[in-house]
Amino acid sequence: MMTDAATLAPPRPRRAPALKGRDTAVGHTLMILVSLLCVFPIYWMIVTSLRPSNAIFSTNLWPDAASLDNYAYALQAVPMTRMLVNTFLVSLAVTLVQLLTGILAGYAFARWRFRGSAILFGAIALTWLVPLQVVMIPNYLLIARLGMIDTLGALILPHIASAFAIMLLAQSMRSFPTEVVEAARMDGATHWEILWHVIVPNLRGTIASLAILIFITTWNEYFWPLLLTRSAENSVVQIGLQMFISSEGTQWGPLMAASTMASLPILLIYLLLQRQVIASFMKSGLR
Amino acid sequence: MTDLSADTAPRRSARRPRPLTPARRFLRILRPYLYLAPAIACFVIWIYEPLAQAFILSFQQWNLLPTSPKTWVGLDNYRNIFDLPKFWQALGNTWYYLLGLLPLAVGLPLVIALFTQDLPARSRNLYRALIFVPMIVPPVVAAAVWRWLLDPNHGILNLGLQGLGTDPVEFLSDPSIALWMITFITGWKLIGFATLILAAANAAIDESLIEAARLDGATKWEIIRDIRLPLLSPTLMLLVLMVVLLGAQWSFSYIHVLTEGGPLGSTTNIYYLLWQFGFGSLSVGWSSASAVILFVGFGLLAAALFALKAKVTFYDD
Amino acid sequence: MKTSLIALAVATSATMASAQTIPDTVTEPVTITFYNYNLSSAGNGADATRKMIAEFEAANPNVTVKGVPVPPQDIATRLQADMVAGQPIDLVQMPFAALGFAAENLGAVALEDIVPAAELAGHFEGMVPNGLELGKLDGRTYGLAYTFSTPVLFYNADIFREVGLAPETPPATWEALKAAGEQIKAKTDYLPLATGIYGPTALDWLMQGVINSNGGAVINADRTKMTFAEPEAIEAVEMLRSLAQEGITRNLSITAQMEGMAAGNTAMYLQTSAIQGFLVNGAEDNFELRAAAMPAFGDKPVKPSNSGSALSLHSTDPAKQRAAWELMKFLTSKRGYTIITSEIGYLPLRPEIVEDPEYLGEWVKDHPLLQPNLAQLKNLAPYVPLPGPNYLQIGISMMDAMEMATFGEDDDVKAILTEAQERTQRLMP
Repeated sequence: MMTDAATLAPPRPRRAPALKGRDTAVGHTLMILVSLLCVFPIYWMIVTSLRPSNAIFSTNLWPDAASLDNYAYALQAVPMTRMLVNTFLVSLAVTLVQLLTGILAGYAFARWRFRGSAILFGAIALTWLVPLQVVMIPNYLLIARLGMIDTLGALILPHIASAFAIMLLAQSMRSFPTEVVEAARMDGATHWEILWHVIVPNLRGTIASLAILIFITTWNEYFWPLLLTRSAENSVVQIGLQMFISSEGTQWGPLMAASTMASLPILLIYLLLQRQVIASFMKSGLR
Repeated sequence: MTDLSADTAPRRSARRPRPLTPARRFLRILRPYLYLAPAIACFVIWIYEPLAQAFILSFQQWNLLPTSPKTWVGLDNYRNIFDLPKFWQALGNTWYYLLGLLPLAVGLPLVIALFTQDLPARSRNLYRALIFVPMIVPPVVAAAVWRWLLDPNHGILNLGLQGLGTDPVEFLSDPSIALWMITFITGWKLIGFATLILAAANAAIDESLIEAARLDGATKWEIIRDIRLPLLSPTLMLLVLMVVLLGAQWSFSYIHVLTEGGPLGSTTNIYYLLWQFGFGSLSVGWSSASAVILFVGFGLLAAALFALKAKVTFYDD
Repeated sequence: MKTSLIALAVATSATMASAQTIPDTVTEPVTITFYNYNLSSAGNGADATRKMIAEFEAANPNVTVKGVPVPPQDIATRLQADMVAGQPIDLVQMPFAALGFAAENLGAVALEDIVPAAELAGHFEGMVPNGLELGKLDGRTYGLAYTFSTPVLFYNADIFREVGLAPETPPATWEALKAAGEQIKAKTDYLPLATGIYGPTALDWLMQGVINSNGGAVINADRTKMTFAEPEAIEAVEMLRSLAQEGITRNLSITAQMEGMAAGNTAMYLQTSAIQGFLVNGAEDNFELRAAAMPAFGDKPVKPSNSGSALSLHSTDPAKQRAAWELMKFLTSKRGYTIITSEIGYLPLRPEIVEDPEYLGEWVKDHPLLQPNLAQLKNLAPYVPLPGPNYLQIGISMMDAMEMATFGEDDDVKAILTEAQERTQRLMP
């Protein structure tokens, strides 16, 4: 069937036929509503960051006396730029390393049958269920013994592997057409080569979306960095944000300003990587 | 079917297979485990070892200090937890959270991913980016903004409702509504995440299958029903699994900031309750017992769901 | 109970050994750690703390102070983890609720054990006796009250005037408060009363004050029996329930109540004076904010409780003990309290500085909101920390029951509290 489709289909993928008018209208209305719902609170966050402290709770849709005071204050009250750099480095490192271990482990589960694979898979999946607080103190003690308290490395080390990444990748690799892999095997490619030259390039979409998600999860991590970092210069942006919150009254304006600044890098990463998520089956061979 | 992507390894002419010495055979058996080694090592050191410790500690009373005695108390810690009046309420609430999250965190994203797939590039990317925006904001800040929007006195939503003539709704302080509001906010944050995963999986579906079906005269809905959904089923089941197993944890920040488990325990769930009583505690017995309860409880649920998943999903092999 | 007595004995004997060996001064360079929660939030608290540390280091060149910022609700757990990890812990800003646990389990040193009696007495002179009691357990001083405050009734003078109440005479009793609340409820849409009584971060600090003011207590004097189902306590909760039933107060989260007051949507707010700065910011150009003492039950004397923190000492090395003690002395000196009150907004434990122009004399004239708070100092009844390893769970269970009794459907306050008392008694050491 694949061969027939290959010979019949034109070399470039055709755009899907236009949707029926009514479907489109309903669809677009729904999308616009959902988009508004998603964006409005963020808009509110930005607007609040521009308001002075006695107008924080005002309900005007637009700030009357917009000013960047909150941003200036946030930048000097907390070492924001340093924290952003730290958070970026840690998130990047964790993303790369989790993708690496995830791809390797995913391949193992998808490609081979081996003794204990079901048990190992189950054990990995179960780690998902262990809440951070349970392992926090023992991990802290281990880090202390390694002498790594207050270092960025300690933020990366426990996150070398992620059950979600492994499961998602294992699943996508399992869905990968076996004919392609078999053909490559017959051409004499080793497993390593198949993994990195055949499978991974064609899983770009999944890997890109996974990268975005790992980056965000690490970016938003709070409890573990809180336990580990003892100085503001070595800490991450979430700790910085929490410094505006206290039981004696939160500084909402600066918090919203800091939060806006903390959100922009993630938005950038998304915009960069999201192009990979779209169908990119430009390779004629897979038709 | 010979033209692979340009990244293929250089073609080798068929050659004699290499001889299978005992060493090579041993390596071949070892290979999957080698690929798995980094991940397994990470999990054993950072998760399973502490978990095993927690299991043992859950039967003791100790304040973690090496100079202090560990007292064996058997099942006391567990009994104290089950004795909490809010325990069963929290369990029930957890159920509602999970059910309530599924439409927002799986259903809606599925619709969005399918709909936007076929749109022209500009509107597709725009919609997807807008849907993704909630994810860039830290949970604490998202919770705070929602609190302002839902405030009965000066929240935009209630002002709008009053403009329409109705009374303000106590979104977060009415015991019968609060839980659904927190569920909504948790789901709101997740739409982008699930859409991303589903869009990626949808894009990975072999276009030739779709083309062939279209040439056979299938309508869009039939294509969705017969080709896309079955092939998306592994991803869908994975998402459902995630929501069921992690939904309680995901709602934590919002409960913590917005209602603190109230009013009168109407928004607390099993994870929040155990966090309050167990994890913040200096008595290691409580926190360990809480951890074991969460792990075993959700573990059983996960086992059941995994079995279901294996039956229900469909792979394009 | 037996375990903690043994632990206490062990801790005592350990420190007794060093009782006579703490040096008189710091002779060698030494570094001490200061676990502090003001440093964990940006703003006045952090700035003032850094200022005080800098002043101390300038006056004591041999001592280097390393501040370790930790959020207040995490201090005890961080201390626990760091003790096990072998990190050095010297001085800690310990929230009162955890002081009991710190003394029994986290190595807090009783000052009487390491400081010569004469020096101790000299430093204590001038401190409010009630305040000194705050840090004492079983007669020994484990903590010196550092940043602490009492509950104050903030009120919105503009709303009062709008309803016909005189802002010059705020309600002094719960009965008067109820009457005022009824008027506000009838004539306006504002929330009449918000309180900081309920909420997980509050635990039972404010509730202790309310019940104490009615002549009751949540726990007995030697901390062996829970007493929050005794008649006086039940009466106090029933009074709160009547306020809730009439809609005068509502079960909102702590932050929502705080913001409502700061935004000018609430008439009266009973909460720690520490949030004064936040309310003042919100009131600017918005409404007139005033403060009064905590209301009384009829003609019974008001017994406000305290919130905040004490400084506890955890060093084991004698040289570090001396250094940490010197820091402790500075932070609780006249100069220290001047900075704490004027720059952070807490209470000065040395009332004499309020009249002294060299310290707070001038500042107090510009900040009238502090007065009711200061006046209450002499009636202070120390917060009694709950005992044992399960203190947190006891506290949460008790407050959950009280919240249910105040805002729930069931009218039988006595039954709810009695059941909870029995249950929490089982968790006692």
